[in-house]
Amino acid sequence: MKQYIIIGNSAAGIAAVEAIRKRDKESKIVVISDEDYPAYCRCLISYYLAQDIKEEKILYRPESFYKENNIELLLNKKVSKVDPRKNRVIFEDKNQLGYDYLLIATGASSKFPQDIPGIKKRGVFGLRTMKDINDIQGLLPITKTACVLGGGLVGLKAAYALRKRGVQVKVVVKSKQVLSQMLDFEAACLLQQRLEENGIEIILGQDVKEIIGEGEIKAVKLDSGKVYGCSLIMVGKGVAPNTDLIKETQIKINEGIIASTLLQTNISNIYTAGDVCESFDLVLGRLCVNALWPVAVEQGRIAGANMAGENINYTGSLGMNSIEFFGLPVISLGIYKIKKEESNLFEELKISDAKAGRYKKLILRDNFLTGVILAGDIKNSGVFLRLIRERINVASFKDRLLQENFGYPDIIDFVKEKESVYV
Amino acid sequence: MKMKKLYYDVKKCLGCKSCEIACAVAHSKSETLFSAIREEVLSLPRKKVLHHKDKNYPVSCRHCKDPICVDACMAAALVYDKEKGMVFHDESRCVGCWMCVMVCPYGAIRPNVKTKIPLRCDKCQDKDEPSCVKACPTGAILWQEEIELPAAVKGQSPSGTVPCKE
Repeated sequence: MKQYIIIGNSAAGIAAVEAIRKRDKESKIVVISDEDYPAYCRCLISYYLAQDIKEEKILYRPESFYKENNIELLLNKKVSKVDPRKNRVIFEDKNQLGYDYLLIATGASSKFPQDIPGIKKRGVFGLRTMKDINDIQGLLPITKTACVLGGGLVGLKAAYALRKRGVQVKVVVKSKQVLSQMLDFEAACLLQQRLEENGIEIILGQDVKEIIGEGEIKAVKLDSGKVYGCSLIMVGKGVAPNTDLIKETQIKINEGIIASTLLQTNISNIYTAGDVCESFDLVLGRLCVNALWPVAVEQGRIAGANMAGENINYTGSLGMNSIEFFGLPVISLGIYKIKKEESNLFEELKISDAKAGRYKKLILRDNFLTGVILAGDIKNSGVFLRLIRERINVASFKDRLLQENFGYPDIIDFVKEKESVYV
Repeated sequence: MKMKKLYYDVKKCLGCKSCEIACAVAHSKSETLFSAIREEVLSLPRKKVLHHKDKNYPVSCRHCKDPICVDACMAAALVYDKEKGMVFHDESRCVGCWMCVMVCPYGAIRPNVKTKIPLRCDKCQDKDEPSCVKACPTGAILWQEEIELPAAVKGQSPSGTVPCKE
């Protein structure tokens, strides 16, 4: 009988629990969360705020999950310290709990730019937890205007949800385009137009300089000096891995906790997975935090299996994302922009039809696909992803890649996997 | 009973797309061709026949044993049902984020932007066998218990070469 402690009760934590239980029905598993909610679909909270889905659909696993899997779930408990020497975790309330194997899957938290005066005021929210949503819901009846800081995925999802709830929304974006971490300028324009057509105002190339209001929020002041009235602010300025609990340990950390290919930290019985984990990026060829739901699930599953005695190598992740706003789906994979000084190394294949709301761009280096942007028409995204992941040379079918009837059969002779359905 | 799976004899497939039509009809409200084409939300096929070199390949969900789409689903709408050997899609939980489309290694899940629900094969669960099997005029679609295919099948180009990159 071993004792497993999993800190974190979201994508990575749950995947790890399931992987352990698949192999070990006996040992004790304790899952610790600093939230007061059983595992939920974190990426769906904006849909819940928008009232696109009901609360019962937000649960990631049925309520019986913990009991059925014989898991001790500790909610509302924050681990303040890990003590690898004594193999124990120390809670904020000074209680302690020992482990044989520990998974740190603490995720990440919304970043709030501390240099903006007023950022700590009541009425400034992130979009990360059910608590954020419940707090926002409390203010919605008296909210007519809101301002979103940041034009990334979280910022836009926040803006979408607020707009759906009848709030007038302005999104203040520092860069010259929305989704600058995911799309190139052309695809971003397509999406921006769609958002604007649906009543979301977007202000580019500006940052919020100050949040104005005594007690309650009254307005935001931008770099340009312009002042916009609003009573609620949502911040989508990225997330930071939750690493405070290991600050005083020897566990190696860069941006996130550094993981080996077994998703082990430098302490052999401590593993890490999910948004807190820094692991190999297949496209960049170096360590990187890819804070994405699918990545967290895969990492959690592998970390859990390895904690239960397996030796599974994690091949690595890559930046990717998919989102749809108002009927326009967009996906990006790998490298989405090329630095000017490196442009001679890359080749671009492109289809652009703004009228039809379609845009596709493939980025190649020496006949290997390194990045993809798809807007409007996203089919075969997974085939492109496979070309990137398996590093397949596309020279012999390059002209086919953007054709309407391109698909898996075009790459069938090149994939590593043994064919299993075509006779 | 052992679970059944769809196999395709690509030497027999003519690319007539009868399977596509049968699939769309089977998943329409009326389940008849003449009414299906008049339905408000047009039923779309969950299968696409694609041509490659001298052969035709019907492409649809393979119900992988380690389904990447299930991992990727941020809404927990996808569940792998071991007993039935299939990926079950709970449409009531789906929000149309297209994560499954993003990761499907076969491009077998396609987005239906109108309904915001991805199109994927459900092996015609409510029928005795998938509609595409019945519709195929050449018997190229096989519905049978799981078999292990010989390794040489892949890339069975006329010259017999398998240019598999490592």
